[in-house]
Amino acid sequence: MKVFLIGAGQVGSTILEALHSEHELTVLDTEQARLQAVADRYDVSTHEGDGTSRRDLSRAGAGAADLFLACTSRDEVNLVAGMFARREAPSATTVIRTSNVEYLELWRAGQLDVDFVVCSELETAHAISRIIGVPAARKTDVFAEGQVQIVEFAVEEGASRDVLGVPLRDAGIPRNSKVAAIISRSGTTLPGGDDVIAPGNRIVIIGSPQAALEWSALLAPEGGAVRDVVIFGAGRVGSQLARVLLEQGIGLRLIEASRERARRVAEAFPKARVYNTTGLEPDFLERERIGQAQAGIFAMGDDARNQYAATLAKVRGVPFTIAIASEAASEAAFDLARVDVAVNPRRVTAEEIVRFALDPRTKQVAMLEGNRYEVLDVTTRESSRYIGTAFRDMPVHGALIGAIVRNGSAVFPHGGDVLEVGDRVIVFTEAANVPWVVEAL
Amino acid sequence: MAQTLPKAYRFAPRRHLAVDVRATVNLVGALSKYLGLTFAFPSLVAVWYGEAVWPFLAAAAITSGTGFAVERATAGAGRSAGVREGFLAVSLTWLVAAAFMSLPYLFAGGSQLGHPVDAYFEAMSGVTTTNATVVTSYHDLPRSLDLWRAFTQWIGGMGVIVLAIAVLPRLRIGGRQMLEAELPGPELAQLGDRIRHTARRLWLLYVGLTAVEVLALAALGWLGADDRMTGFEAISHGFTTLSTGGFSTSAGSLSGFSPAAQWIVVVFMLLAGTNFALMYRGLMRRRPRSFLRDEEFRLYLALALVASLALAAQLVGHGVAHGEHALRSGVFQAVSIVTTTGYANANFALWPTLLLLSIFALMFVGASAGSTGGSIKVVRHLLTGKVLRRELDQTVSPEVVMPIRLNGVAVDERTLRAVVAFVLLYVGAWVIGTGVIAIDSAITGAGLGTLDAIATAASALGNIGPAFGSVGPLGSYAGLGDASKITLIGLMWAGRLEIIPVVVLLTRHYWRL
Repeated sequence: MKVFLIGAGQVGSTILEALHSEHELTVLDTEQARLQAVADRYDVSTHEGDGTSRRDLSRAGAGAADLFLACTSRDEVNLVAGMFARREAPSATTVIRTSNVEYLELWRAGQLDVDFVVCSELETAHAISRIIGVPAARKTDVFAEGQVQIVEFAVEEGASRDVLGVPLRDAGIPRNSKVAAIISRSGTTLPGGDDVIAPGNRIVIIGSPQAALEWSALLAPEGGAVRDVVIFGAGRVGSQLARVLLEQGIGLRLIEASRERARRVAEAFPKARVYNTTGLEPDFLERERIGQAQAGIFAMGDDARNQYAATLAKVRGVPFTIAIASEAASEAAFDLARVDVAVNPRRVTAEEIVRFALDPRTKQVAMLEGNRYEVLDVTTRESSRYIGTAFRDMPVHGALIGAIVRNGSAVFPHGGDVLEVGDRVIVFTEAANVPWVVEAL
Repeated sequence: MAQTLPKAYRFAPRRHLAVDVRATVNLVGALSKYLGLTFAFPSLVAVWYGEAVWPFLAAAAITSGTGFAVERATAGAGRSAGVREGFLAVSLTWLVAAAFMSLPYLFAGGSQLGHPVDAYFEAMSGVTTTNATVVTSYHDLPRSLDLWRAFTQWIGGMGVIVLAIAVLPRLRIGGRQMLEAELPGPELAQLGDRIRHTARRLWLLYVGLTAVEVLALAALGWLGADDRMTGFEAISHGFTTLSTGGFSTSAGSLSGFSPAAQWIVVVFMLLAGTNFALMYRGLMRRRPRSFLRDEEFRLYLALALVASLALAAQLVGHGVAHGEHALRSGVFQAVSIVTTTGYANANFALWPTLLLLSIFALMFVGASAGSTGGSIKVVRHLLTGKVLRRELDQTVSPEVVMPIRLNGVAVDERTLRAVVAFVLLYVGAWVIGTGVIAIDSAITGAGLGTLDAIATAASALGNIGPAFGSVGPLGSYAGLGDASKITLIGLMWAGRLEIIPVVVLLTRHYWRL
């Protein structure tokens, strides 16, 4: 498939990373240096030019694209590029990135002539709310309209002995779920029946939402419903997140240093308690009992500040911290500073956009563990080699079928079940195996 | 060599006044011209009853003639009156209107109203929809003059509607800018089309409600349910109910009418105390739910209900009244005071002290903003309460940001400051007024007790009318000294204009740059 990409920044290069091996990519950016960096790493064709210039687009060959992705950091550029793409390549699927929810709403109302709009802030907010919704989860993603969840958990000492230290075949694993991966210091394994979950590991499970909650209860017995979350920073990400969490009925406190912004969010969210302060003064943290919050989310628009505030909050006793990492390098730093979860909005956005580039049969994809693993949602066709094969007879190939969606509802297969034509299969696999898996099914 | 600067660089001579008085006077003159037309109605009444018509015709000629002359004399002012001139224009309009409206009293008021201070007092009480009267013997007044009293209140009510929807919000008075979003407009002199539209619609509602009440009351008379309720009485009380004025046709106010008439009046007093814009949406546009959704309206009704029951319970408790009579007295008096109408169906001045104190407290409630009622108004109490609650929260947590909402919409801080400032100024004006009246009463021996003086000032400032003692609901202000009367005129005037325009005129900044 011919993919035309505008913007070679962080989102753009994450998309390139995911797509460059299977698709024919063309990248347009205004900055030669960024294009050079991209060209050095991937086999893609690069053009220097402006996405808002019809001439530049046409010269770079946008007319031949099957998929048109506008993902610069500037909304207006993406919008204009998306509009031109409609004229240049009327049959191409156009996807634009925006950081403004208003454009997303316009698109939903049918007012924007593009195929998809991906809003970084909203995707980030959803990613975080999924983590908050499943206590003890570090990362989650949903498939098949929410019927299947993929959740990454951190396993700690306090976890239930039903799953800790026992071989998986004997462990009391919740119904309708599978352990897709065990991640330890030494590496990641797709586990078999003999493998053991140990404290300090992280595990990836695939299962029903109910099973995800049961896992959460097993791994963090003290956790419960989330009633008090503190969000530091009420910028675009922070306020979107506040909206999403409030809609889920989660109690919120917001801390924002800018007076105008604090006022704005306080007006927008009558149910949240808003403080106008930096959130770093010990006096304030003590007086307002920030330490008693069940989770702290740090979205102050500055990675260093987020990390410091998260550490301060940890010191005060906040048990669970999620910080926004705008730079890829910050994720590792956050990890060392014991921030529980780092969320990179650009990565989240890139993942969302990449979903559109895959085989029409594959619906969604999530990247886990620094792009080494992916979760695919593939629909089987008649020529598939495993039709009619029982799951227990399938070969082990670095891939795991976590769930199948048959006639619209999710089934969590057991060894005796048989794969049928038209099944949607949720597969957890190494990134390197993606083409093989797609081909085999 | 002397060089002449290009014309554009020359400094203009320093203007001393920041206010364009000429344009303001011009505007007031133009309004007076039309005010002359209001005398047509009492003239017709005088013809109907075969009474002297000349006082009204003379008043009309003087009013329109003066207005016309003033307008001509000040014509050609460079600019038209803007927002800055608004404060002066509004203040002058009510002063001047009261002066012209007092002319028939001067000409035909005889010993009761003929004295200039008394005539002006009665006219100001009318045009500000207060119910403070110097009349002592109603039988001796010509009927046309009696109806003229009621009519001045009705005209005053119309003025208040314009004041509330168009003028006060533009002058940002006492947090009135809350309504501003609905009411844009560039010039005071040429109210925007939308405002004129709104005003016309609300006037229609006002006229319509008046007509309905008049018919309802008159029907009682026709059906024989109330012998005293003649067409004349029905029209008089229709005029003074919807304007929350409260002038009645006899010293006994409503006490001589049937219970049915009193209940009808209660309903219309409640309507008159409702925000007219809200009522328009709810009644004319058939969106009754907007009533329930309005925080001010809910609190207004709740206050009226609680006050009614509290008064009724006290009346029963003190053995003053029983059964339906107690309930009716409680409801009628509470609604009359809360809406600042000032009718009475019993001489509450004779009630026990605890009841007096309750009535006194109700004088500070006021009806809804955007109604014809006076006093502080329910929405300001609501907002002040919210401000105080936030203040307490912020004492504990200074960082907390809590926008104050009214009907779910955040109210900006400038408005809240204006509301609190209004309440403080209101209380200040009341305290000063009380002082002057108490001192004057002591000097002249008018016989007002402490509570009487306190309540008199509150009643005048709130545009209610009756107070306690000799100036109670069945009494008269005739016995007070001129200094007290002039003070009360000032209080009625300032209270009607929501104080701030009057106080602004006293600041140096207003006049000088």
